[in-house]
Amino acid sequence: MIELINVSKTYANGMDVLLNINLHIGKEEFVFIVGPSGAGKTTLMRLLYREEAPSSGKVIVDRVNVAELDTEQIPYLRRNIGVVFQDYKLLPKRTVFENVAFALRVTGAPRSTIRRKAMQSLELVGMLRRANAFPDELSGGEKQRSCIARAIVNNPPILLADEPTGNLDPTTSWDILQLLEKINKRNTTVLVATHNKNVVDDMKKRVVALESGRIIRDQQLGSYNV
Amino acid sequence: MFSNLEFFLIEALRSFRRGALMSVVSVVTITVALVIFGIFLLSVINLGNIVGMVSSKMDIAAYVDKDLSLETAGALQLEFSKIPGVEKVDFISRAEAWRDFKKELGSQLDLAAVIGENPLPHTFNVKVRTPDLLAQVAKKISEDKSVTEVRYSGKLISQIKSLVDAVRIGGAALVILISFATLLIVVNTIRLTVLARETDIYIMKLVGATNAFVKWPFIIEGVLIGVLGGLSSFLILKIAYDAVSFRLALALPFLPMVRDHFLLAVVYIVMIVGGTALGMLGAYISVSRVLKAEF
Ligand SMILES: Nc1ncnc2c1ncn2[C@@H]1O[C@H](COP(=O)(O)OP(=O)(O)OP(=O)(O)O)[C@@H](O)[C@H]1O
Ligand SMILES: [Mg+2]
Repeated sequence: MIELINVSKTYANGMDVLLNINLHIGKEEFVFIVGPSGAGKTTLMRLLYREEAPSSGKVIVDRVNVAELDTEQIPYLRRNIGVVFQDYKLLPKRTVFENVAFALRVTGAPRSTIRRKAMQSLELVGMLRRANAFPDELSGGEKQRSCIARAIVNNPPILLADEPTGNLDPTTSWDILQLLEKINKRNTTVLVATHNKNVVDDMKKRVVALESGRIIRDQQLGSYNV
Repeated sequence: MFSNLEFFLIEALRSFRRGALMSVVSVVTITVALVIFGIFLLSVINLGNIVGMVSSKMDIAAYVDKDLSLETAGALQLEFSKIPGVEKVDFISRAEAWRDFKKELGSQLDLAAVIGENPLPHTFNVKVRTPDLLAQVAKKISEDKSVTEVRYSGKLISQIKSLVDAVRIGGAALVILISFATLLIVVNTIRLTVLARETDIYIMKLVGATNAFVKWPFIIEGVLIGVLGGLSSFLILKIAYDAVSFRLALALPFLPMVRDHFLLAVVYIVMIVGGTALGMLGAYISVSRVLKAEF
């Protein structure tokens, strides 16, 4: 499903953030990307949905090297990858429902479908009750759930969750991870970037550890630390 | 895109209202430009009308040999009327001309008695279809060996014509200049509303919106601005023109302005369509530039 081959990334400011990354993630896997702040977790995810292009190497998503994707093709790649952003990125002047519906609207789906799927998605994350609230009226956990609802509304084969439990209490964090696992069980490849030790240790999933832009560990049924 | 038309319309209206001041600035800019454009078009139409009126009174006078017989003159009249561009040929015999001349002088002076016999030649009055043909027809007529002299007031006509040409060229240059300036202002004002929504656009693109999807609401907003500008310039110009032409018709009855002509309708339609095009093009350019530069 996802394969990174000799991938390096240097940002425009000259900072080397990823160094010769090789990584294979199979269909319907659940993988944690762990590592200290600044290790390059977010950058790695940005390469997958092509917010950034790698400086060298191949980034293969569903058999396509997205590093060489035409600009016009990028929107279609993004519709197949749900992203839960570290900073949510909800449209501030729109309600939770409108935010979720937006990801469907861009695909040109008919109105009735948009409504039905957005509701289903909000129901799944337990946000139906707050559907008409605006983002700045939500708690951190609610924003996180709204963001997840938007990310999965197109039933993408891949879901990327960047620090989905940041600023959340342990119980809510646990709920969110349960939700992500549920989505994974519905045939979705899930990548979770986090430095939340507890959830990683509890879930017993594959763990890929990054440090200073290198993979220092790749372990099945892993834990946060060695 | 049509499944999203309603969404785009709502987005465009929202954006128009949110940036109300910017929207008004753009509408006013387009209005001013179009009013100037309309004044130019109306001037050209009216000058054309005056040229037409003046030149319809223009004809060529051709004088022939005194000794020409009436039969030959009749043949000549037929010949002249066959020259391309000639509308009508009147023949005035030297006897008729002499009679008119004497009548005109009346009793003021018995010039006729002084001169004695009739000194006037036969005359042809030739009317042409359009004033451009005057010189050409006059030349053709003068080629006939029995014609001694040809007269027409070509100078006045060509002066009026060159005035109209100057207005046309100068006006066209002005219109192009103003259109560019307007486009620039519209591009920059709409750019501000696009930039104000930069974060939104960025997020939209991250969740899979195409550039076209992002552009449509802005383009519709541009069309809205353009239509409003076009309509207001139409209203302003129509009211002003009707008032001016009405007064002028009273003050200068011999120089009537064009009224109730289909060309007026054409001018007004051109203004509304032009406004719409300006607004749409301005929005398209500005949103494309922001998208290209930033995403
Ligand atoms: N757009 C950018 N331009 C330049 N440098 C950047 C950019 N984005 C990130 N960086 C730098 O790249 C490094 C890796 O950033 P990244 O966001 O990938 O880390 P991270 O592992 O996600 O960290 P965190 O756990 O804090 O989210 C950091 O040092 C950051 O300062
Ligand atoms: Mg990060």
